[in-house]
Amino acid sequence: MTRNLTIISILLLILPLATMASVKLPQPEKFVLDNGLTVYFLQNSELPLVSFRVLIPGAGSAFEPQGFDGLANLTATLLLRGTKTLSAEEIAESLDFMGARFRISDAEEYSTVYGECLSEHLPKLFQIAADCLISPAFKEDEYQKELSRKIDGLKAIKDNPGRALQLYFRKAYFGEHPLGQLSTGTDSSLKKMSLREVKKFFSARYRPDTAIMAVVGDIGREKLLGLLNQSIGQWPKPSSPPLPVTIPPLPAPKGKKLILVDKPDATQSYFALGASGFAVDDKIAAKASLMNTLWGGRFTSWLNTELRIKRGLTYGASSSFQSWKAGGIFMASSYTRNDKISEMLDITFDLLQTAKEKGFSDEEVESGKNYLLGQFPRTLETNASKASAYLRIVYYGLGFDYYDKYLTEISSTRAEELKACAKLLPAKDFVLVVVGKGDDIRTLLSKYGKFQEKKITDPDFGL
Amino acid sequence: MIKKFVLPMIGLFLMSTVMQASFKKEDIQVHQLDNGLKIIFYEDHTIPSISYYTFFRVGSRNERPGLTGISHFIEHMMFNGTQKFGPGEFDRLMEFYGGSNNAYTSDDLTAYTDWFPPQALEKMVELEADRMQSLIFDPEVFESERGVVASERRMGVENNNEALLYENVRATAIMAHPYHWDVIGWMSDILSWRREEVIQYYRTYYAPNNAVVVVAGDFDPGKTLELIKKYYSDIPSQTPPSPVSTIEPPQMGRKEVVIKKQAQSPSFQVVYHAPNCRAADFLALSILEKPLIQGESSRLYRRLVRQEQLAISVFGGISETIDPQLFFISVQPRPEADLTKIEKIIDEELNRVVEQGITDQEYQKALNIIRSNFYSSLQTNSGKANQLGSNELLYGSYENLFTMVEQYSQVKREDIPGIAKKYFNELNKTVGKLIPQGGNQ
Repeated sequence: MTRNLTIISILLLILPLATMASVKLPQPEKFVLDNGLTVYFLQNSELPLVSFRVLIPGAGSAFEPQGFDGLANLTATLLLRGTKTLSAEEIAESLDFMGARFRISDAEEYSTVYGECLSEHLPKLFQIAADCLISPAFKEDEYQKELSRKIDGLKAIKDNPGRALQLYFRKAYFGEHPLGQLSTGTDSSLKKMSLREVKKFFSARYRPDTAIMAVVGDIGREKLLGLLNQSIGQWPKPSSPPLPVTIPPLPAPKGKKLILVDKPDATQSYFALGASGFAVDDKIAAKASLMNTLWGGRFTSWLNTELRIKRGLTYGASSSFQSWKAGGIFMASSYTRNDKISEMLDITFDLLQTAKEKGFSDEEVESGKNYLLGQFPRTLETNASKASAYLRIVYYGLGFDYYDKYLTEISSTRAEELKACAKLLPAKDFVLVVVGKGDDIRTLLSKYGKFQEKKITDPDFGL
Repeated sequence: MIKKFVLPMIGLFLMSTVMQASFKKEDIQVHQLDNGLKIIFYEDHTIPSISYYTFFRVGSRNERPGLTGISHFIEHMMFNGTQKFGPGEFDRLMEFYGGSNNAYTSDDLTAYTDWFPPQALEKMVELEADRMQSLIFDPEVFESERGVVASERRMGVENNNEALLYENVRATAIMAHPYHWDVIGWMSDILSWRREEVIQYYRTYYAPNNAVVVVAGDFDPGKTLELIKKYYSDIPSQTPPSPVSTIEPPQMGRKEVVIKKQAQSPSFQVVYHAPNCRAADFLALSILEKPLIQGESSRLYRRLVRQEQLAISVFGGISETIDPQLFFISVQPRPEADLTKIEKIIDEELNRVVEQGITDQEYQKALNIIRSNFYSSLQTNSGKANQLGSNELLYGSYENLFTMVEQYSQVKREDIPGIAKKYFNELNKTVGKLIPQGGNQ
């Protein structure tokens, strides 16, 4: 490390931050349709393409009734499986025929309609999108097909330890909190699922007046307005007031919660370590993302350097903060040969402690800033990424100068502020989930405390 | 940001068609240094960022038994130190200058993909030129990186049933050609590559006359060419590597490979030998793959997932490779599905194509998908750089990119059944099954 610091100190003289040109997110035009749908629009005619997104607050998994994991996902999926006038086959055929990308998917807090197509196909794509949102058929046979596909899909997930780990972790960390609802569903939730629940969820949660839409691409304002008014603008606004979309405060781990999922054929062990984070609009977000960049968020981060670059224990190791309106979490994860799992965890815990005690050097902070600022322009390069940025800004109430402020804050952050920020990293209170070959790792793990154990073949992902 | 190899079975749909106004052949500049290094420029100042892609004409097709996976291993070692910059300094310097990078190895090529702000340009040119000629392969780092690749194989193949089955299927279908093995290589080779062999391989293939540099984005072509001359001109060219001469012999009957392992869900794949990407039949098959297997309106999705409900998903298509490889059909069956029935339905659908071809609607659909995917891939500097470089390596010239629509429009729909018949027949077919053992009891 020291050998490189010399080089880096010289670099500081020749690469002042002020030279970092950056991009501004263009201010979109805003209009509200008669049905209350708010639309943000930016014209970009560089390529004959248009991207659009519609964010529907409250239609995500966190608003499913307790125990109905997968309901939001089933609802979103079924919207494309037939309407009063189009069969599922006709929808699929029209979309594929245009070479369009179109899907509706659920996050925790909302669901999102994603569309992208050649500009010449936009009128047709809007019509299909409107039809799916306004008059889904929710046919029994389509429901049954999708349900049984989900049930069987759970088995395939459990054959892939990396994917399964994420679901076990969610349940371990959140338990019965709404953010613990799994979009994949669980064996027991899918057993009690019904089409009636789907219909109920749809009519309670999908509505235009609280939704936010963003359109970016090769289309003029007047033409767009005309198309929208004939399509998604026809989505009727319900007379009932919208349901609340607040999520209770996130659980904070107290002490250690240790879980081992035994997968006897696994040749590697996968771990996820989680602790409390912060909400999207938290003032600490920019600094925390810089801190995380240095600790586990990029290739030369401490975590990847120690686990991969120096020791070759793994193909990849990383950490991130995930945030929602009500709060967030920190998560670090990696994987290695079964017999190396405790070496990997020891190093991870050491690195957490070092960051809290010593913080980061000026050179590291400088490097992290340059990295975030230098990479930023690419994050807003496409129509779709601009549309996403608009929705994020509006949904979380961040303001259109959010990214400017974020970049300014990143560039003015000092090393001692990052040390304070490292307090966010877990020490004693965390959730640790390991998926691996129980017989090879049980003893190795015992030094961290008592693990609750589960077989991968047991139903569900909770305890 | 993790250096990764791209499984050649994923996402090899061809993305090419007519060019839109803002990205024209006339806007591309090409240069060549005396040592053979080819340079392709596309200038675009929309965002303050540059994509700098270096392509080497080396992939797993250039390997031999004992050295399988070595192309991909060198891709990893390219980040691990030169005479001038110690192990890990490439990444540390690049990130310090605001850049990030990745790299991938396929059957046919190795690509290094850098994205950075304009003021980092000279440093990046220096770093890229440096690692083209003076990697040190430090013995300790060599061993540690061997561990990384072993972990990558465990994750990507051994703990991924579809990838594991594909490795078996391709090794069964392809007997003689180096496409026999996967890009990652066999585990025993990974564990026993010798340093001297790796250095020899590096010297042969990482030569300026075996490389193409593509720069797209916010740069000045004149100044950049001077920088490239400054840092690359002294790199000596090497004797061109021997050509890959093995030709896969025709398959003479149906083959089947069965894997039994602990799992909850089976896997199923069917492959047929297919033409290389420059062959006359390639375009017709890449049109056909779309209505056959890509998207929810495709024939196989409708039959297997929707109507018979034997599968959770299907995907596949033709491999875009320098030498003839495979047309690939992968099915994720329902846990209790009858695999024989799945095979029968695939046969029926392929026979239907052979006898009746595809409809005009399906033909138009394929062309629309190609056009839409293509524009979508050109939204970014990196997408443009990747298209220019892969076309240069796979098709012999980046110019291929600008004539592709014409090539597609010349494919006659009526010719598709005849072309399909040449490839989709029982003698040319290999079937792979992964059958779960235990685990559920």
